[in-house]
Amino acid sequence: MEGKIFVITSGKGGVGKTTATSSIGAALAMAGKRVAVVDMDIGLRNLDVVMGLENRIVFNIVDVVQGKCKLSQAAIKDRRINNLFLIPASQSDNKDVFKSEDMVRLGKRLKEEFDIVLMDCPAGIERGFENAVAAADEALVICTPEVSSVRDADRIIGLLYARSITPKLILNRINPAMTANGDMLNHEDVTDVLSIELIGLVEADDNVIVASNLGKPLVMINDSKAGQAFIRIAMRLDGHEDIPIQVPKSGSTFWRNIGSKLGFK
Amino acid sequence: MMNYTTNKTMPVKLKGVGDGLRITIDPTQSLDLLKEDIGKIFKNLGHLAINAKIVIDPGENGTHKELISTLGKYLKNTFDVGSVSGLSPKRSAPEERIRQHDINHSWEHYRSDVLMLAGRIRSGQKVSTKRHLVIMGDVNPGAEIFAGGDILIMGSLRGAAFAGQPDKEDAIVFALDFRPSLIQIGGFVGTGAGPSKLKIAEFAHVEKDIIVVEDYLKTNPFGKMPWPDKR
Repeated sequence: MEGKIFVITSGKGGVGKTTATSSIGAALAMAGKRVAVVDMDIGLRNLDVVMGLENRIVFNIVDVVQGKCKLSQAAIKDRRINNLFLIPASQSDNKDVFKSEDMVRLGKRLKEEFDIVLMDCPAGIERGFENAVAAADEALVICTPEVSSVRDADRIIGLLYARSITPKLILNRINPAMTANGDMLNHEDVTDVLSIELIGLVEADDNVIVASNLGKPLVMINDSKAGQAFIRIAMRLDGHEDIPIQVPKSGSTFWRNIGSKLGFK
Repeated sequence: MMNYTTNKTMPVKLKGVGDGLRITIDPTQSLDLLKEDIGKIFKNLGHLAINAKIVIDPGENGTHKELISTLGKYLKNTFDVGSVSGLSPKRSAPEERIRQHDINHSWEHYRSDVLMLAGRIRSGQKVSTKRHLVIMGDVNPGAEIFAGGDILIMGSLRGAAFAGQPDKEDAIVFALDFRPSLIQIGGFVGTGAGPSKLKIAEFAHVEKDIIVVEDYLKTNPFGKMPWPDKR
């Protein structure tokens, strides 16, 4: 069976595309899928660092497209999770090195090799976005509950529709306490404006920073709320659409404050 | 309807009109002759004249107020008529024409002057028309809509709206949920004071060179128009 290519995009930078790509990729691989995560941010590669694979890069995606190596040589196998592969970006080229046709051709080869391909799209709506979207079958739009992020996501959604791709929404970095106080947009405000299918709500979680610094997959940290949310998103993408979307809730801040004073997490 | 018409050479004619009687007189004739003729006719009417509503029509030239009031007194005293008045002044030609429009349902033959869209206008999208613009759906922040005439949003307006472009200052911008980031009507720009947070139907229009936003249902800007007219 032929695989499927998802592009993970947002328009705005710093909203969690790379974290989402690595986490969803890892979760799908743990569920038994053969997964490739592809860093499309040519010139500003990050995904390898977040996944802790930066020391193992020999070839990259530009080498594959230019025929300098085979696809299998550029795909780095994760040693902790079976079936998870990273195709890193080049750090020395820029986005103009590809054309959309190159990506369509590469996409076909990736779909032959892997069940699921996740493309980590760069920020912006220029060449890098065009390339990342060119080969995609589906799109996941990452958005944080901030007005600027919502506006950029809205623009991206319009561009994806124009390419006949119906995107799904992941709302990332929700702060339940701020939402409860009315200091942050709630997920209904966001879905109201963006009006696309919501596939997951992810709470802001310090473990994300810990995991990315350690190069450890977030989904392998058991008490990470964000990690668990990404696992549920991966399951929904894998056909388990009946898993309910959990709205992050703040516990009693009083007890949590006391708990943290006493050294509990 | 009654129709008593005297000899054509006579200076007075009588006609039953609606709920009263109309006397057409020749104002060039002497008052005595007129009184005599009117007297003859009203004698024939007998009790029909009592309390009748009389309109005296002195013809095309002038109003002849004095003549009408003199004849009026005479009629009231002699025949107990109810009221006597001259003809009400004629309506102006343009008003007459507009009323005719209404009666003839002129809009039935009128080609649509509206661009009507359904759906959501997203950030970065731009809708532009020389006509009026109706959107059944929402306009997201970051979207821009331009119209030569009015803009009506059957949903929430959060983007920028430019109505009456380039110089139609009587255009309006209406939305069921009015929260635009910018409004321009003709050459007037409205920013600054944030939109109200109430989810009520509001509209913006230009009043004394300032863009004013008001509750649509309370203000009811077009409810006071006496007859429907195309916009």
